[in-house]
Amino acid sequence: MATEQVVVAPLLVALVTAILTLVVHRYVRVQKVVSALGGLAYVGAVAMLIQRVRSGAGSHGVEGVLTYQLSEWGAPFGITLVADDLSAFMLGLTAVVSLLALAFSIQYVDEAGQRVSYHPLYHFMLVGVTGSFLTADIFNLFVWFEVMLMSSYVLVVFYSGPQHTKAALQYVVLNLVGSAFMLLAIGGLYSTTGTLNMADLARRLADPASFGISLVPVLGLSAVLFVVFALKAGIVPFQWWVPAAYRAAPAPVSAMLAGVVKKVGIYAIIRLYFTVFANAAPMDLSLPGVVGESTLAFFGPVLFIMGAASIILGGVAAVNRDNVDDLLAYSSIGQVGFIVIALAFAAGGVVAGWEAPDPYGSVAVLGLAAALVYSLNHALAKAALFLASGAVYESVGSIEFDDLGGIAGRMPLLSTGFFVAALSLVGIPPLLGFFGKFLVFDAAVNAGSNLGIGLALLGAILTIAYVTRAWNRGFWGERSEAVEQATPQYGLFATVLVLAVVALGVGVAFDPVVDAAIDAANAALGTGDYIEAVGLEESLTSGGGGH
Amino acid sequence: MSYGDDTTVIARTVARITLPLVLVVAIALLFQGHNLPGGGFIAGVLTTAAFALVYIVFGMEYVQETIFGDEYEPAGSVAGPLVVDRYRTLFGVGLAIAAGTGLGAMAFGKPFLTHTDEVVKPSTEYVAWIPGADFIFGTLFEFHWATAFVFDIGVYFVVVGGLLAILAVVGGE
Amino acid sequence: MTEFVLALVLGLLFALGTFLVLRRDVVRVVWGVSIISQAANVYLVTMGLLDGTVPVLEGHGEGAGAVTDPLVQALVLTAIVIGFGTTAFALVLTYRVYEEHGTIDLLELGGETDGN
Repeated sequence: MATEQVVVAPLLVALVTAILTLVVHRYVRVQKVVSALGGLAYVGAVAMLIQRVRSGAGSHGVEGVLTYQLSEWGAPFGITLVADDLSAFMLGLTAVVSLLALAFSIQYVDEAGQRVSYHPLYHFMLVGVTGSFLTADIFNLFVWFEVMLMSSYVLVVFYSGPQHTKAALQYVVLNLVGSAFMLLAIGGLYSTTGTLNMADLARRLADPASFGISLVPVLGLSAVLFVVFALKAGIVPFQWWVPAAYRAAPAPVSAMLAGVVKKVGIYAIIRLYFTVFANAAPMDLSLPGVVGESTLAFFGPVLFIMGAASIILGGVAAVNRDNVDDLLAYSSIGQVGFIVIALAFAAGGVVAGWEAPDPYGSVAVLGLAAALVYSLNHALAKAALFLASGAVYESVGSIEFDDLGGIAGRMPLLSTGFFVAALSLVGIPPLLGFFGKFLVFDAAVNAGSNLGIGLALLGAILTIAYVTRAWNRGFWGERSEAVEQATPQYGLFATVLVLAVVALGVGVAFDPVVDAAIDAANAALGTGDYIEAVGLEESLTSGGGGH
Repeated sequence: MSYGDDTTVIARTVARITLPLVLVVAIALLFQGHNLPGGGFIAGVLTTAAFALVYIVFGMEYVQETIFGDEYEPAGSVAGPLVVDRYRTLFGVGLAIAAGTGLGAMAFGKPFLTHTDEVVKPSTEYVAWIPGADFIFGTLFEFHWATAFVFDIGVYFVVVGGLLAILAVVGGE
Repeated sequence: MTEFVLALVLGLLFALGTFLVLRRDVVRVVWGVSIISQAANVYLVTMGLLDGTVPVLEGHGEGAGAVTDPLVQALVLTAIVIGFGTTAFALVLTYRVYEEHGTIDLLELGGETDGN
């Protein structure tokens, strides 16, 4: 079987770009060109990979799941990369946001800043994100997380003045402790199950008796791991680092952090809890308020509570902020709550086997598809809004609402971009946000969760409230003095507008997106295919023998 | 004026003696790293330790003026002194070498990062009449090459470049 | 016996690390974080020591189980290198905090930043 080099292509493109920008760092102009070309090549590589996965190419006779063994070491000992519909969906989202945020930063970050190390760090962050989406090895996931986080530490600190050092320090220390916990959980999982490969882990958990695995510690360790992912995704009660870090980071980095890096946490939750841990053999769970036999019976309620709290806290706090970045940061806590609550419905669907109308088939698929579409919407819209905030800062010199007002008349291009992205966040048809919210509601209805419907409704109302407030105070009304004297940066406005147009375009041509999301949801739930495609070495399976 | 006037004779003498030893051990570790304990990382750390010794005993100016022949400039500008720039380039080149060995494997249709190795022995067919030919040509000239060694050199450069850059920036302040 | 000693050491390391992380002094916080991550490394090594099953050798007959698992040591090596980098970064950041604010006391820092 020919090796599918296309699987590793996005990773390598980002890596090579990072190295090249590092080598040519003395020549700012060359570095910019290399960086931009690298961003384009990344989009190309991701497009090739998506095309390959969507056309049904696969490994070990499984359609649509491509695997790749680094260094030609066979699974489960070598590091496996897996590209299935879920990974492809997330990579597609990353490619769009990263290219536009890069185009924005080339104009936005000043010369001295670009010269030091902005571009290599940006591309290393992309390497980390790509690796996290592709890997099928939990320790390797830790390594990619670290690559991503190390770059993000420096990028957050990078542009910040003295007033932000404390926020940066908080972000770094918090994530370092989080990493230590991730290591603990991985070590524990390895010691209880004897493997690090996700496919092997899923296979062993399904048959604990013959591998001598006790499932109870696995549940506890997976809960520790869950805390780490929740921290990365910024879900309540692990949300408090979010506003300070987003305020400290330069706008394009905030756009990447909110749009893409948060989604890595979401992806890890989907991949590990729906593909791997959900495959565990039935066990007796008797915790307060939790009844069921699957690990998801435990994580479902947890996801629901955390998602609900995020929606309420993020939404309420966002209404009353006095600058644009703070508002967007709290809003992104609330929006991630929508994603998580959709995951909770999906978990409930897996446990109870609820039916849903075609083309979904089950609430599990519907909930996951809703979470994915909502992730895509949040990535596009929130990235556009953060970039718009950066463009306002660059033009007007402030993002405090007290200094703003009447931008719509002064800078119509930017205002259009902001308006469309904001409407997508609210969920007005035919924008992508409408479909995202619609799917979340659909999942809630099919799950029969009145509380869920109520929460989603409350979240939607809060979204309308804070988006309207931002629009009224910043873009409408009397022109403030600062806005009157602003120097519009049309290059920056164009980037914002392009992202908004993408959100509009994806909404208008929604059919392929929803198909991709449904396939991704099925891929996340298709543990059997996942295990088979990885092709674990035959001679080294269970000690019991039988082959 | 000579360098290191403000340190003791003992420190300078000890540094002169230990420096070559540390560097030799570092290189030995680098060369055996692909199949014995050692490797690029630890060799790089040792080399950096040697440089740190020079910094402490002879001062930053010594390294910048004598080894690189640059004008001495204290840290302060955004990018730091020129020597930091050199270290950063070394870091980039090291990364390029390491990633290059991985990419090289792909040219042969193998997965990224695949490595290979081979034991090469010169043929003793025509020199069999020399006493001890088997030992001389078969054992002494036996050479075990591994592409992983090139990767290790890349890692070595990355570690040396990165750590020295940190030392130069933080130490220069 | 080894298990007992290691468990004790791990507990002490985590306790010490947590204690330091909760201090006001930024340098102590960085020390605490690095102690916690070192404790995680010790924990990883311990995980290989206790059981003695080696995945690479598993299924290769008798005696294979008597070898200490080499995989965790490879993992720890990776984790040490990562921890090394992050600790260096955290220390540089501490230095910057001191340079910009003239203090490394977190509470005094908080007094300055909350006003903006």
